[in-house]
Amino acid sequence: MSLLQMIAAELRKATTLPAVWAGVAVALLGSIGITVLNAVTTRNAIAAGRAEELLADTSPFETAYAAVPLGTVGAVIIGVMAMSSEYTANSPDAGGGRQISATLAATPRRITLLLTKAITIVLLVVATALVTIPACVAIAMAIIGDAGQEAVATDEAVLRSLGAMLYWVLTGLLAFAITVLTRNGIIPLIILIVNSSLVSISLLLTNITPLAHWLPDMAGRRLFGGVHTVDGGLEALPGALVMAAWTLALLAAASGVFSRRDA
Amino acid sequence: MRLSRVVATELIKVRGLPAVVATVFATIGVAIALAAGIAATSSSSASRSDPVEMTLATVPFLQIGIILIAILVVASEHAGSQIRTTLTAIPQRTLLLAGKAIAYLVTAVLTAAVSLCAGFATAAITLAARDASPAGDVNAWPVVGAGLYLVLIGLLALALAVLLRSLVPPLVTMLALVLIASPLLAGSTEHARWLPDRAGSLLYQPDADAVLTTAGGVLVQFAWIAATSIIAAAAFTSRDA
Repeated sequence: MSLLQMIAAELRKATTLPAVWAGVAVALLGSIGITVLNAVTTRNAIAAGRAEELLADTSPFETAYAAVPLGTVGAVIIGVMAMSSEYTANSPDAGGGRQISATLAATPRRITLLLTKAITIVLLVVATALVTIPACVAIAMAIIGDAGQEAVATDEAVLRSLGAMLYWVLTGLLAFAITVLTRNGIIPLIILIVNSSLVSISLLLTNITPLAHWLPDMAGRRLFGGVHTVDGGLEALPGALVMAAWTLALLAAASGVFSRRDA
Repeated sequence: MRLSRVVATELIKVRGLPAVVATVFATIGVAIALAAGIAATSSSSASRSDPVEMTLATVPFLQIGIILIAILVVASEHAGSQIRTTLTAIPQRTLLLAGKAIAYLVTAVLTAAVSLCAGFATAAITLAARDASPAGDVNAWPVVGAGLYLVLIGLLALALAVLLRSLVPPLVTMLALVLIASPLLAGSTEHARWLPDRAGSLLYQPDADAVLTTAGGVLVQFAWIAATSIIAAAAFTSRDA
């Protein structure tokens, strides 16, 4: 099969998984929900003349952008499910088979298969981000209206949105690479959802050793420019490079293992 | 069958699941490692060198283990055709659910108690080794509250897993609720206090909320568990296996 056909096949498989749509829904509807809450709070605070009490300022973009970290969870779900679904055993009544056998029979070139899966995940996450982030900003603008002061210039807003999107994509690929290694979705789901949260294990590790700032999720943290993050650690650009290097290393390890072991 | 025998069956099943056994030991291990890490790196100021505070700081992580245990106990039935064998042996479905819940409670109480005690002991020993033990009396009641909270949040996960009959959806829902949605919502609206984990956390952070008391928080968490359990039980008794 040509590469394009393989990508089309993987895209079709991924978009028929309800769990992938659940991931998209978490990113899209979850972020929109938080944005609506934040925007209503901001609007009420401005109306009551208490704008200085707000955590963010009255900018609609900042209000929407505060919801963006939630999309990381959606990216994790998409990245994990695209691979773990291959290893889920069918009902014993239907033979108890796993989809990976059929997949490898149809596309025996394993490295190419992983490549197409990675491309599929990138496409899905980018599409989700391209809908979610502008939708959140539009909703925040509609709710806050002229009352707020837009403090963020358009080019800066675009840059920060792209940074958040890059973080989502890299996290999705990390989730995918770990799932290839574990052949099971539970461990990567738990590790990556915990680390996208406020009780992140990487965050705790930074208290013990500054080396933890070089872990992928801590390194990439400044891609969410403007959102309050921990002090110290890498700047946005070197951080993004470190996170990308982790992603590539894990993908390489996953390719090595996947091409050698039995399905 | 009598309830005691159903509970015995379910406990044997729980003991036979490698994933549950691994989760129990992993939870205890995480409790010890986190307590040691927090106690070893705490600054020496008086207010922060309390082993109780350090044990409580591990609760957000320990709840992941308890939630996973609760979901595995239910989801393993639906992974293959085991649910049919189970229902053939125990056709009274509410009795089966009660047995499962009690088997979970036994496992969760043991796991939570051992984890918290081990974490507390680790923190106290680490502090003593650093000559940083607190001077005054230590009030250990919040640790008991934390244990109760852990068991209750797992009970909510159990009910959700019965309703959804699967592993990953309830797991993601619970993790997203307690780790992501709840802190995000707490930052933007005061009504986040009515969420099950926020309300329940008053058990180990007694004066953290302006509106709810500890008893009120427990009642709110019970209401969430009761509502989910009633829906789950109604679904489980009425639908095909």
